[in-house]
Amino acid sequence: MAISTQTLGAGGPATPARPLAASRRRTRRRLLADRAAARLVAGGGVIIIASILAILVVIAGEVYPLFTKPTGSFLGRHAAGGVRAPAAGDSLGVEEYREVAYRITGDGAIEFVTLKEGPVPSPVPVPGLDGASITTVASAGNRGLLLGTSDGRTIPVEMRFDVAFRDGRRSVTPQPEFKEAALLDPARKRPIRRVAFASTGGGAVTIAQVGRRELLVETVVEKRALIGESRTERSVQALTAETEGEITALRLDGRAEDLFVGTSSGQVLRYDLRERETPKLLEAVGVSAAGAPVTALGFLIGDRTLVAGDEGGAVSTWQVIPRPVGGERRLTRVYRFQGHSGPVIAITASKRDKGFATADASGQVQVHYGTSGKTLLSLKAEEGVQLRAIDFAPKADGLLAVDAHGAISHWGVDNAHPEVTLRTVFGKVWYEGYSEPAYVWQSTGGTDDFEAKLSLTPLIYGTLKGTFYALLFAVPLALLAALYVSEFMHPNVKGYVKPVVEIMAALPSVVLGFLAGLWLAPMVERVVPGVFLMPLVLPSCILLALLGWRRLPVALRNRVKPGTEALLLVPVTVLGLWVAFALGGLVEAALLGGSYQTWLLSALGLTYDQRNSLVVGIAMGFAVIPIIFTIAEDSLANVPQHLRAGSLALGATRWQTALRIVLPTASPGIFSAIMIGFGRAVGETMIVLMATGNTPVMDWSIFNGFRALSANIAVELPEAPEGGTLFRVLFLAAFLLFCLTFVVNTAAELVRLRLRRKYRYL
Amino acid sequence: MRGAGRLWRSGEPFIWLTGGALALALLLVAGLVGLILVNGLGFFWPKDVVRLALADGTTRTGQIVEREPVPGKAGQFRIKLKVANRDLYGADFQWLEEGQVLRREYPGDAVVIERVEWGPLIGVVKELREGGKPVAAGPAAGWAEMAKRLPEATRIRREIRGIEKGEIGRINFEQEKIRLKLRRLELRGVTAGPEAVRAEGLPRRPSRGEPRGEDRVDALQREMADLQARYTEQEGRLAALRARQTVSVLVAADDGKEKDLPLVQVVNVYFPNAMGVAAKAGHYLGKVWEFVADDPRESNTEGGVFPAIFGTVMMVMIMSLMVTPLGVLAAFYLREYAKQGPFVSLVRIAVNNLAGVPSIVFGVFGVGFFIYFVGGTVDRLLFAEALPTPTFGTGGILWASLTLALLTVPVVIVATEEGLAAIPMGAREASYAVGATKLETTVRVVLPAVMPSILTGLILAMARAAGEVAPLMITGVVKLAPALPLDSFWPFVHLDRKFMHLGFHIYDVGFQSPNVDAARPMVFVTTLLLLAIVVLLNLFAIGLRNRLRRKYAVAAV
Repeated sequence: MAISTQTLGAGGPATPARPLAASRRRTRRRLLADRAAARLVAGGGVIIIASILAILVVIAGEVYPLFTKPTGSFLGRHAAGGVRAPAAGDSLGVEEYREVAYRITGDGAIEFVTLKEGPVPSPVPVPGLDGASITTVASAGNRGLLLGTSDGRTIPVEMRFDVAFRDGRRSVTPQPEFKEAALLDPARKRPIRRVAFASTGGGAVTIAQVGRRELLVETVVEKRALIGESRTERSVQALTAETEGEITALRLDGRAEDLFVGTSSGQVLRYDLRERETPKLLEAVGVSAAGAPVTALGFLIGDRTLVAGDEGGAVSTWQVIPRPVGGERRLTRVYRFQGHSGPVIAITASKRDKGFATADASGQVQVHYGTSGKTLLSLKAEEGVQLRAIDFAPKADGLLAVDAHGAISHWGVDNAHPEVTLRTVFGKVWYEGYSEPAYVWQSTGGTDDFEAKLSLTPLIYGTLKGTFYALLFAVPLALLAALYVSEFMHPNVKGYVKPVVEIMAALPSVVLGFLAGLWLAPMVERVVPGVFLMPLVLPSCILLALLGWRRLPVALRNRVKPGTEALLLVPVTVLGLWVAFALGGLVEAALLGGSYQTWLLSALGLTYDQRNSLVVGIAMGFAVIPIIFTIAEDSLANVPQHLRAGSLALGATRWQTALRIVLPTASPGIFSAIMIGFGRAVGETMIVLMATGNTPVMDWSIFNGFRALSANIAVELPEAPEGGTLFRVLFLAAFLLFCLTFVVNTAAELVRLRLRRKYRYL
Repeated sequence: MRGAGRLWRSGEPFIWLTGGALALALLLVAGLVGLILVNGLGFFWPKDVVRLALADGTTRTGQIVEREPVPGKAGQFRIKLKVANRDLYGADFQWLEEGQVLRREYPGDAVVIERVEWGPLIGVVKELREGGKPVAAGPAAGWAEMAKRLPEATRIRREIRGIEKGEIGRINFEQEKIRLKLRRLELRGVTAGPEAVRAEGLPRRPSRGEPRGEDRVDALQREMADLQARYTEQEGRLAALRARQTVSVLVAADDGKEKDLPLVQVVNVYFPNAMGVAAKAGHYLGKVWEFVADDPRESNTEGGVFPAIFGTVMMVMIMSLMVTPLGVLAAFYLREYAKQGPFVSLVRIAVNNLAGVPSIVFGVFGVGFFIYFVGGTVDRLLFAEALPTPTFGTGGILWASLTLALLTVPVVIVATEEGLAAIPMGAREASYAVGATKLETTVRVVLPAVMPSILTGLILAMARAAGEVAPLMITGVVKLAPALPLDSFWPFVHLDRKFMHLGFHIYDVGFQSPNVDAARPMVFVTTLLLLAIVVLLNLFAIGLRNRLRRKYAVAAV
């Protein structure tokens, strides 16, 4: 149906060239399309803006799990078999899938418990006991156990589990492997009360406690002959602990170098076993308050940190480290942990990280973390249960405890990122082998027992250091240049200068980084004194050029347009650079003894790295100059012209006008320019990656490198396993960068908007 | 003195100082560009080969690269000689004190041979051998014979490469596809076809419904065997071709050292001392073409950068496809459709600030969101058969492009918004006045007017993306990609593939290469290329914007 133009309502040409004929359907379709497009654009726009903001959410979402509290859940108490008391010591264990657990009973059997459904493997008796009983168990190495018997023997056992997959289901079969027993005390056959064991490349050392204070040290040395079979030499020495009380705990480190003996008088005795024949007492350290007997000792993974628990329930970690003064290595307390209400009876270390768990007899189990010094979790066994031993599951995702009745309590532990707390990320942490708490970033190491050092502080420090030196170079240069361009430059020349600066802004940072690292760094190394003379020499040259200029005949001077001095100054600057370098060489020869590097080291104690903050400062300054220049020049040029006119009319020179009128008016814009430059320098990645040595050191020396947050992410993220602690810490670094730049840029933007409003009123 | 004081008070010295700052800044830019130009452009020009007779009786033959004063000894210079022949001497460069040099000569028969491995070879052709027996002796005769046989050797090398990359590549690709299909069937529980079931008496799975995949297993396995046969055939062809390469050239280097180089490894031969300017220019152009069009050799330190150019261009293209509609839509929303108020200003500030967020943060977002979240999900749903090898759950050109699209979207938004703001309100009102709806106004009036602004924004975004490296390092750039993301195998565009990039190439060759000294000229040339692309794009955008400004300045009057 045809409708006239009038019904469309929206008007039209007064005299249509031809009558508009549009069907109602077509009109409806147009309106529908219009409405749909409006929805689409609005919806699309909102989605895009939301997705931009989602960056923050996604990154924060990856960071969040770092700071969730660890949780533990009680999964059950498994009391299969009869009431058979477990042997003392580490008489409990579990395989890595947490399906089958074992315990070693005093009467000489290895019994199994199924923690999930499935058949219970039958118990395995320890062969060759001949009526003796198992008095103690010590774990040694990965899967090894050493059983001590009531007749003075030790029996090594390897706890193996065969894992088979059938029909997509896993079946775990225990395969304990008993090795040859050794008779440690042939003369008196005293029962072995406690035992400690370490196996090294050269042989094995077994320490057994056979009396209140009596220890036997068995050393097996394997002598490899070039021809023929290797033979083993075995020797046993008696050792009496120098204590008034009795021995209550025993630990030997995996390198068989240090023996730690806990006593009932609250001390830990440290023996040096490097000379196997003559164990030497190195020190006796009181580890418990008020001399409460030491009831349990344990090592964290790597055997560098000793955990001590005493009768009063206190838990602390200790390391053998050199004293800050003196240099002698002493057993030093690192952290005290949240204690128990009763005596600590067992300590078990995680096989994955520096975590450990302690238990008291009343059924309280606590999970701690050695690096952070924090107690993460407190678990409680069922009422009335007397715990005897505890064990961390191999994947550190579960905890088991055996009680006096031989029943096994089982907890699941969800503790994905125990090494990260706000303190370990930002504060000083006392790492293994360090003589005091320190800020360290060292995310990966060569060995399994490596302690990840994830302090972001050195990286933040590096970022700020690089930014500082970059701004030190860029801000004066960019602001002065902006002042010149906006106030004094001839408008015709301006049209050429600004695109040059824009090109400068567009230079890829990888190009700057490459030149800085491979060309600038070796070049700067040769002329460092000249570089430092430059801020003095260049202005002097320019002033001299001005004086010379004024001597020239006026006719010649008038041929140069005012506002093009800068172009004249280019050769002067080249000359200035040359003079600075030449003078630098003279200064180096005359005042610095011929080599500035040796002078730096002897006079100031500074070392010179080829890729250092000076190079980064110049290269990154280069990247920042155009940003600061453009924004500052904009805000200067936007200062209303009548202010300048007024000032000049009152007789002020053009410099006075620029300094007293234009600069103060535009100061908020200049501030915002510097802020935005700061934001750019903070996030710059390629330049710092290529032009520094990327060592996470913390000092302000301009001659050293640093490691920045951004470069660190670029280097380490490809290697970090997804969802791991390092991965998330790197996301935290990105989060920090995001927040820092976003806040700075927003502040700058708000300042700029206010400034614009101000100009409107002027 | 009073004159000086007056001069000081007038502030003229300070003005000169500010001018000096600008001069220094301009000098820095010019110096940087000049440095890259000099180092980049000069590399391909064939340098003369000099033979230096030294005081100790030995000779050194090579190209002089650098000359610098000896530190600590005034008036003495040392030269850096590119002696090449890494396999004979162990290092490409030697430093020689000029005082040691007795005589310099430029022998006309000195030859530079570029070869497939070990970098260039410099020396004199001694003889040409076939199957170990001399065919022609002496520089002149040797070279004459060599020139005759070189095309054939080159053809064989190309053919071998063609078979390796083409036929065998295709077979491998198809085998991988069949393997994945079999794996997919296996995941559905189908492991053996009816033939195998009958032959081996395997228990036939009780099939629910129809046993769909089972017939296909046999077909696929037959196909696999077929491919294997084709593979063996190609291997045979390769072996035959390799057996035909018996010609080698014996090159004499310094100190009686000799190299017996199979002719098939020779890429390029030239006699720099005997070349005139025209010949050198021709050589230069050939090298430039090789640089742009060839694959890299010798862990990226020689040959060309074609895959890197291709990767950069393709990534920028995909990014442009994403960023243009998104950025334009957002800008239209902010300027044309949304109600102007505090919310929109807030969003505008946020978008502006996004441009200031470090690029590495976008990379981290790309890793967390695109690669592990989206990519991981896609893999679980669509590419389960390839797991645990990730298909989209790892860095690739798609994720890198998307990350860069996010990074550059503020550029497009800001440019488009600026353009929208510049269109006089009257243009829109006139359109409404003749009865057009908002959509029609937007599409017919506003969009054409704002098109140049969008283009400007897009070009700036492309320039930014082409030069950005940090986010790519973690989202899918590699130092050497085995295959281009675009090839002749279905579905032709492989968005999951990793790719090479000019910027990353610079970082990798300059900083991760085992032989940085030899690689440096190559890095300069790559830098020059990248710089040229970025600067040209920027100049284009600036020019476009200036033209626009002039146009609207006229329109506003």
